[in-house]
Amino acid sequence: MAGLREGVRRRYWRWVARRIPPEKTSRLDRRRIFIFPSRAGFGYLLLIAVLWLMATNYENNLVYGFAALLVAVFVVTMFHSYANLSGLAITVARVWPAFAGDKARVDLSLCQAGSRHRDNIVLWFAGGEPVTAALASEEARVSLHVPAPRRGRLVPGRLTIESRYPLGLFRVWTHIRPSCSGLVYPRPLPGHPIATGVPARDEGPLQAEEGAEEFRGLARYRLGDSLHRVAWKAYAQGRGMFSKQFSDPAADKLWIDWYAFPGLDREARLSRLCHWVLEAASGHAPYGLRLPGLEWPPDRGDAHRDRLLESLALHEIDPEAGS
Amino acid sequence: MTAIRQLPRYGSLWLLIAFVASVLPHTGHLPPWISVAAAVAVAWRVQIFRGAWHYPGRWVKFALLCLCLAGLVLVYGRLYGLEPMVAMLVAAYALKLLEMRDKRDALIVVYLGFFVAVSLCLFDQSLVTAAIVLFALAAVTAGLAGIHQTDLHHRHFRPAMTGAMLLGQALPLMLVLFLVMPRLPPLWSVPMQRESGTTGMSDTLSPGDITQLGRSAEVAFRVEFADDVPPRRRLYWRGLVLSRFDGRTWSQWESWTYARDNIHMHGEAPPHWLAGQWGTGTSVAYRVTLEPTQQHWLYSLPIPQPLTAGTGVTRNYSLVRREPVVSETAYRVRSWQARPDASDSLSPLRRRVETHLPAGYNPRTQRIARQWAAEADDTEALVRRVLDTFRRDFFYTLNPPALGQHSVDEFLWDSRRGYCEHFASAFAFFMRAAGVPARVVVGYQGGEHHRAENYLIVRQYDAHAWAEVWLEGSGWVRVDPTVAVAPERIERSVVDVLEGEEGLFSASPLSLERFRSVAWLNTLRLRLDYLDYLWTKWVLGYREQQQSLLGDLLGRVEPWRIALFLLAGAGLALLPVLAWCFVQARPAFTRVEDRWYRHFCDRLAGIGLAREPGEAPGDFARRVAVREPAIVEPVKGITEAYERCRYGGDRAAGAELKARVRRFRPRWSRLFFYKDRKP
Repeated sequence: MAGLREGVRRRYWRWVARRIPPEKTSRLDRRRIFIFPSRAGFGYLLLIAVLWLMATNYENNLVYGFAALLVAVFVVTMFHSYANLSGLAITVARVWPAFAGDKARVDLSLCQAGSRHRDNIVLWFAGGEPVTAALASEEARVSLHVPAPRRGRLVPGRLTIESRYPLGLFRVWTHIRPSCSGLVYPRPLPGHPIATGVPARDEGPLQAEEGAEEFRGLARYRLGDSLHRVAWKAYAQGRGMFSKQFSDPAADKLWIDWYAFPGLDREARLSRLCHWVLEAASGHAPYGLRLPGLEWPPDRGDAHRDRLLESLALHEIDPEAGS
Repeated sequence: MTAIRQLPRYGSLWLLIAFVASVLPHTGHLPPWISVAAAVAVAWRVQIFRGAWHYPGRWVKFALLCLCLAGLVLVYGRLYGLEPMVAMLVAAYALKLLEMRDKRDALIVVYLGFFVAVSLCLFDQSLVTAAIVLFALAAVTAGLAGIHQTDLHHRHFRPAMTGAMLLGQALPLMLVLFLVMPRLPPLWSVPMQRESGTTGMSDTLSPGDITQLGRSAEVAFRVEFADDVPPRRRLYWRGLVLSRFDGRTWSQWESWTYARDNIHMHGEAPPHWLAGQWGTGTSVAYRVTLEPTQQHWLYSLPIPQPLTAGTGVTRNYSLVRREPVVSETAYRVRSWQARPDASDSLSPLRRRVETHLPAGYNPRTQRIARQWAAEADDTEALVRRVLDTFRRDFFYTLNPPALGQHSVDEFLWDSRRGYCEHFASAFAFFMRAAGVPARVVVGYQGGEHHRAENYLIVRQYDAHAWAEVWLEGSGWVRVDPTVAVAPERIERSVVDVLEGEEGLFSASPLSLERFRSVAWLNTLRLRLDYLDYLWTKWVLGYREQQQSLLGDLLGRVEPWRIALFLLAGAGLALLPVLAWCFVQARPAFTRVEDRWYRHFCDRLAGIGLAREPGEAPGDFARRVAVREPAIVEPVKGITEAYERCRYGGDRAAGAELKARVRRFRPRWSRLFFYKDRKP
């Protein structure tokens, strides 16, 4: 029985996948929208059946009339339920990067041609939490979260959109696959670098090229402080906004090096490197990254940090393979 | 998916309103404590809504449930019956409302609300009730909409608007369904209303019964004749024939369930005792719309030929129906004015029944009857003598004195004041005592002719009782002693006869009948009655017309024609709904330049360059320029013209914009400058 059910379910998903291909913007139409009475809808039909029996046994034409009215409401509601999703265009505006094991935020934009009031639209990615949206004008933005279990490229996958508006008698739904992807950085793990035997390079993973930088401590952030010096980790932990104080805020150069973490496997190393990239990015000194076969020269700035994190995310990942 | 079970706060507000709207009309026939309990539930719920009180705990709920059940058993003594069941439904509705926490509870509350609202129709089917139920249904639908809408915080009335819109759009389809929906005969017998507001005629007759009806101005039935309305004195609406007398009460000898050979149903071949009656003499065809009586018998002029399925005629020439009349029912009859067949002699058994008298009652009447019978030449002479007596010194009154054990003796020789049932009963008793087969017939006599719309209104105060005696060679002959004592009762109306008498209309204190003498009020009364008649005829009694109406509409009643009619009608009825749902409403533009700019954007969208929502015209133009260098010039020109016109107030730029947009054909330009395109 369970096997049969599983088989039916697999066939259903295969059929849905064939019917609704991945696309950048999904405009919900007849092809994509499914509609079926909900459990409440079947309850409502049962109610009508009881009323009809009452009308028959009491030969009461008024009860017949109201039973007919409820049937008519059912039919009319079917169209309204369908119209709540029909004509809606869904585009993934952005998949925000996330660290492995976290949830990635996905920004969706819901658009429509007119200004119909669409209400109670529930959206969720497979494995994610449902979010309820309403649309009173031409456009609405919704943020969803999808689990990002592994490092690499994240394809959010199947997006289910469901609505029971206006009376809950019908379940109208669709499964679309927005073609979009995001990055999943390695999970940052703190760990001290170990000196390797290679001289000139390996005095540490964070080697200052000209003299070691000296981390002095944290001071409360003041307006005008460089954003590069903000202690983002402390901020993320909710302790408040602090600036890192260094003894010599001159142009130090740091190297974050793959080879400074011997004895660890690939993922563990990437996690350490990620941690240090974030640490270095919160400092002021230019920093570079060395990976097998790849070297980013020291630099500063958000774009530089994101480039480095991307290299870590995609290190030895088949560009074709999604998660 | 894990459904979001939480109830929107303002959704529960509409459930509360729905509760009040559907329970309030029921208070008239519910025990008072249920109404009080419902009010307490509403108050409690309001306090929960305000955050002042908590939900009732499990033990409190259990105690309330037990209390309600005990109360119901105490009041009704049983749980099976219409009133107890509705009362139970209302109690369940109140309890569920009180404990409602999430969407699933709310759904049960909504469905109970639908049920309670519609069940009001089982007690009353008037136009006003229909309006009340429609309002209650709209409120319940609003409640259902409220639990499925999210942003209610500033728009409390949105659920009500949604509910009203859905109901409004459903009305045309409802009409089609109502016309076509097949009406089956009842599948099983159901408990009926016990204590109805006005009592119709019962199947027994004791002194005072019809007097009671005489105080009510309720409509009993209405009749529409195919031709002219017959003269008043011929309008004897026969109901029941009562042959058994126990000293005080007349009742039927047969129960309504006649033996098969003593009843003829519509559609069967007429039996021998009817064969001679139909088709001879003159006939009158009419259609009766009967108010619910909860009884099996119908009213008709003698001698009825049933024309509606499910009705039949008994050997007493009474019209009966297979199912009790539990709601407004219409039936068609053709009555033949032929005399009952003289050759149909009375069987010995029937003769014994029709002359039986209980021993020990009314000795004086029995003695005098025997004496008069001996003095009379024949039965007709005896009848004449009794009627002469009535004519001389008897009074016709709605307020006769109470009678003791020997009711006929007291009435005939002592009080001499009575209503029609006293005269009919005394006359039949006297005849039986004289050895003549006699019986009492109850029904209605006369009716008010609605001249403007040409139909007859028969009211409860038209209730009447008269007698039939068996004359050898003539069969059963109607004798109405009331004619002897108060001929104007038959010629005019009981209202005219008893004008000013105490008790008239006392059972209908609000009836407009009281003001018949005020011309404009009388016109208004007749107008209202016609409205009520139309409602009764076309909505409540539609069952009987269904076949003929569908026949007129479809040519012939066949399943495929009905299906086709249903499809076409439903399609037509749903057209506005489809238009509403699928004609996308574009934002209305107040400025003409906005419209031209949208044309421009639409054309660009046609070649795959859709303007992002919220993208500024300038940004859009730059983006287009990067993608399609071939059309840089026109795009730039249009955008500039638009901006000058829209934001710079340059009216002249409007004309330029219009001209440029008209010329703008990005699809063609792209064809010609294909090579310039960037990859």
